[in-house]
Amino acid sequence: MSVPDARTPYVGQSVSRADAIDKVTGAARYTHDLEPPGTLHTALLTSPHASARIVSMDTAAAASLQGVRAVLTGGQLEYRLGLYLRDKRILARDVVRYQGEPVAAVAADSLQVAREACRRIRVTYEPTTPVLDPREAMVDEAPLVHPQLHTYEHMEGVFFPKPHSNIAHHQKVRKGDVGTALSEADVRITAEFYNPPVQHVPMETHATIAQALPGRRVEIWTSSQAPYTVRHLMSVSFGLPHANIRVHVPFVGGGFGGKAGLHLEPLAYVLSVATSGRPVKLVACREEEFNTLPSRQGLHSTLQIGARRDGKIVALHATYVWDAGAYADYGVNVGRAAAYSGAGPYAIPHCSIDSLVVYTNKIFGTAFRGFGHLEVLWGIERAMDMMARRIGLDPVEFRRRNLLRPGDTTITGERFTEGHGSPTQCLDAAAEAIDWGVPSAPASRPERVRGKGIAVLHKAPAMPTNTSCSCVIKLDEDGAADVLISGVDYGQGTYTVLRQIAADELRLPIDKVHITWECDTACTPYDWQTVASRFAYMGGNAVIDAAADCMRQLREVAARALDCTEDVLAFEEGVVFVRGDPKRRIPYAQLAIGYSFPNGNSIGGPVIGHGRFIATGLTHLDPNTGQGLPAQFWTYGAHGVEIEVDTQTGEIEILNLASALDAGKVLNPKLCVGQVVGGVVQGVGSALWEGFLFDAEGRFVNASLVDYKIPTAKDLPHRTQQILLENPQPGGPYGARGVAEHPMISIPSAIGNALHDALGIEFTSLPLTYERILREIRELAEGP
Amino acid sequence: MTEAFGYLRAETVDEALAALAEDDGESSPLAGGTDLLVDIRNGARAPRRLIDIKGIEALQELRVDRQGIRIGAAVPLNRLAELPAIRESIPALATAALAIGTYQIRNRGTLVGNVCNASPAADAAPILLVLGAEVEARGPSGERRIPMCELFTGVKRTCLSGDELAVAIRLPAPSAGLRTGFLKQGRIRGHDLAVVNVAGAFAQDHGTLSVAIGSCGPTPILLETVDGCDGAADAAADRVLALAEAAVSPIDDVRASSAHRRAVLEALLRRLCAHLLSEEDDRCA
Amino acid sequence: MRVIDVVVNGHLERVTVAASMTLLELLRDVLHLTGTKEGCGIGECGACTVLLDGQPVTSCLVLAVEADGHEVRTIEGEATDGELSELQRAFIDAGAVQCGFCTPGMIMSARALLERNPAPSDEDIVEAMAGNLCRCTGYEAILHAVRLAAQRRAEA
Repeated sequence: MSVPDARTPYVGQSVSRADAIDKVTGAARYTHDLEPPGTLHTALLTSPHASARIVSMDTAAAASLQGVRAVLTGGQLEYRLGLYLRDKRILARDVVRYQGEPVAAVAADSLQVAREACRRIRVTYEPTTPVLDPREAMVDEAPLVHPQLHTYEHMEGVFFPKPHSNIAHHQKVRKGDVGTALSEADVRITAEFYNPPVQHVPMETHATIAQALPGRRVEIWTSSQAPYTVRHLMSVSFGLPHANIRVHVPFVGGGFGGKAGLHLEPLAYVLSVATSGRPVKLVACREEEFNTLPSRQGLHSTLQIGARRDGKIVALHATYVWDAGAYADYGVNVGRAAAYSGAGPYAIPHCSIDSLVVYTNKIFGTAFRGFGHLEVLWGIERAMDMMARRIGLDPVEFRRRNLLRPGDTTITGERFTEGHGSPTQCLDAAAEAIDWGVPSAPASRPERVRGKGIAVLHKAPAMPTNTSCSCVIKLDEDGAADVLISGVDYGQGTYTVLRQIAADELRLPIDKVHITWECDTACTPYDWQTVASRFAYMGGNAVIDAAADCMRQLREVAARALDCTEDVLAFEEGVVFVRGDPKRRIPYAQLAIGYSFPNGNSIGGPVIGHGRFIATGLTHLDPNTGQGLPAQFWTYGAHGVEIEVDTQTGEIEILNLASALDAGKVLNPKLCVGQVVGGVVQGVGSALWEGFLFDAEGRFVNASLVDYKIPTAKDLPHRTQQILLENPQPGGPYGARGVAEHPMISIPSAIGNALHDALGIEFTSLPLTYERILREIRELAEGP
Repeated sequence: MTEAFGYLRAETVDEALAALAEDDGESSPLAGGTDLLVDIRNGARAPRRLIDIKGIEALQELRVDRQGIRIGAAVPLNRLAELPAIRESIPALATAALAIGTYQIRNRGTLVGNVCNASPAADAAPILLVLGAEVEARGPSGERRIPMCELFTGVKRTCLSGDELAVAIRLPAPSAGLRTGFLKQGRIRGHDLAVVNVAGAFAQDHGTLSVAIGSCGPTPILLETVDGCDGAADAAADRVLALAEAAVSPIDDVRASSAHRRAVLEALLRRLCAHLLSEEDDRCA
Repeated sequence: MRVIDVVVNGHLERVTVAASMTLLELLRDVLHLTGTKEGCGIGECGACTVLLDGQPVTSCLVLAVEADGHEVRTIEGEATDGELSELQRAFIDAGAVQCGFCTPGMIMSARALLERNPAPSDEDIVEAMAGNLCRCTGYEAILHAVRLAAQRRAEA
């Protein structure tokens, strides 16, 4: 970790992105834009049924079409895929498990020919009864989505699929004695909540190009958040050595978690193999992005909370039933993270959480910004308001009495310290920003009502205990620095922050610090994945480490060159000099590839610094109690919102939305605010409009932008505020914590709480559409 | 696009008609293409050929004079909505046009196209119904005028035959003191199909109120004219609501339930009447 | 197949296309101008926005043959001789660019707005930009960038 210098010309400043110039000119090339010579185009045939046996497939008419180079079906592909639980095939084999699941793929000279060929493939299905509700799927007689679950390889000791069931994983937290505590509580509430599955809707859909090369090698270009994960999973799935797999990640048009795993790459690879090594490009059209590519899991929550009359929570019992869809993918890890975070940022002496990840015959869930926390905190923060009101306490005051403070212990046994940041300060800041306690001004029209709501949030990076990042910094001959790192900047701006850090650590002007945009597993060193709000934290520390290594090399050679001891050397603006005698100086350019004395003798060599950071102190969680240390750091926050509702149409408008986050250190205010506003608006989407709709047979009903509505520029809160607190995070680069996911979390909760304030109605299901709001208003008006 | 079709850029209406006849109803006129190309992509339509009518000068006419208004089939919605004469004489027509799609879509999409696409939720339909608009159609047997209230025969169906071309929409000159209004409720404030839309025209001098409703039945619905309206908006709204109740048959679909449509319809009709009769409601133009 | 003439960013392009080729496909696949993006193919997201005779349109819903004899401007034509336009600079300065996939379409919609209305109100800006979806920024910085560009032009 860097010892912060009084002078940090760049860290903390609103430096503009260097990549913006490529984006505003159209020069930035995304996987969508790449086309190596000889590229073939791919079309997919997908299942019309949510659950069915594949009785027969006839691809002869497709294969014989002029321009078709390969036709593949699941029957030809034995490989098993899966991040944590290997439950998936590249193409459906023998059975289909969700409507939209790919059953065949065609690679052809043009997309037109590929699609025509798909139309000619004949498939006979025998539909079987789908199981669509995860609660029903948990019942003993429910049809099994994966009858062979007990045979699947999985990450032992971390995930626990239940054989002969639809339960892919069950994570538990047990602290204290919830049963007794609940029964002895002065006040008890029980409530149920629901989150539908939701889609990431990145503006760039999933896209991959794979080219099989001689000697069992493959080269891949992919719109991904995780080049090394792609490489590793390809290695595991196909039995190829890591070095045989080269993964490039060019510009990426948004990910939000949906591009964190292995998605289209295996299929593109096997098609390339089948065409004897042509590059095969597979781009999801928007309909496929919705219908075939994964979602955010749905969630059914049941909460019981017990409290004392003085407002102290004594017990929380939660059951989270996750709708994993047809495959476990990231879903089991979301279920795990939800358990250890699943009580919110509160000091709760007795806690019992069961987080069950359950298969259904629907689109499968993957990582999504927030990793289960938006979903869990929908219920938790709504329930906290309910409890506050039951006791007769103001919701903000109720939270103040229960939020974690230094000395408290979390539900997994972690001790809360000053270094964690301050949820209470965030709560107070958000409340003040919306004038909490002051009634709203009269609504703009007689049939409209206003309300205010508050909700808190927390999240730690949900990552393995050995998560790491590495970085290489090499100097150019002109003394500039190139940073090589394999975290992906898919919009967050982390590369800019890393440049700022490198510039300050290397004492270089920022325009002499470059970061190689494209990730390439052959050249940019290992990084776990860009998810979990951990890249600025871990990448920042890796950059600091690499920069220190560069400085060591510069110092060593400069001392010899200047004939002095290392301790008298200082660095400024790309020059090394002797403190107190600045005429004795050498610009980095003269050291970057070695230093030559006037007589020609040369010392040193190319300056290449390497750095790394590995998660420290994390432990596995006890499988029965969930106790352990899963969190490298926690980020806390709160949102305050004021809304106005039209009681005749259900239309809801957000007047003011204030977000307070304890960022530890704001490395770049402009970028940080950008993340917050973006996350807030995406959260508004989840709150008010977004959710997959299925018919009774489990088929998607709204799989397009026509009927899956995301916020437009007309749907913004009238006013947003971003309040960034800086209680430093020990171990964070310059004291920074991750804030990437957090702005989205608890947005629906705050709005739900505000709706109760406005209407006296308890909303428990998302999304809070105009229709849902109006229906509840009318039912309330009609009376029992 | 991966679907195949032919293309002809017609120079005259006759040329367009000849092509439509030649293709025996299997081709389609192409104006803005913003509905047609989406339907082709979705497999809902598979025309053999697209007959582009945008190049036909006569169809680009947008005329507002004492005789009335004539909107050619090739006039994009933005051009219509931005014409001062339209905004001044029938503001609700401009508002309805601006409610369709996005700014980009409206640079291509046309009023005639919106109407001929005949979605039950067509935003142009209600205002044209209450204003007594007509579709001017040309076919092999000559020209005919189709009153808007006879145009729609079902979900996305009109009484136009496959060899006919809608060349313009005609509206009578609005009477002095005519007040118009249009309201649309979507699921979101951004661009969306209507969950419910309504339009109304109140001729103050005659005391007649005409109201039309969209997205509450297989076609847009023109209600019976309400006579003898004075400034009492509530009373008029009650009468309109009674007529609406009898006339509409909203369904449950992906966008909304029938119950929600009915509830929103009531709210919009009351607001429409308040705007038209008592000039109270400034939410609709 | 037909031969069409389209002026793209000031250059006359003569190409042979099938009737079903969209303007978007012409730009990206034939002319290799990949700055214009496909986001949905049905005119809902605006990522494919280009200027056709100065008017913003979703090029996924325009056929290449319809552009015969017309002028098209894409993001690649926004800078002049390598000099960024005031809009491009404003987008950078205002933090209006995150993943960048919506950015070309956004800039083209903004360009058309400023050409027809050099002093747009906040409402004018929202109306002009609302047909372009963004999932990263939450729009505020983008709307601010357009305001900023208009202001800077006025001050220049």
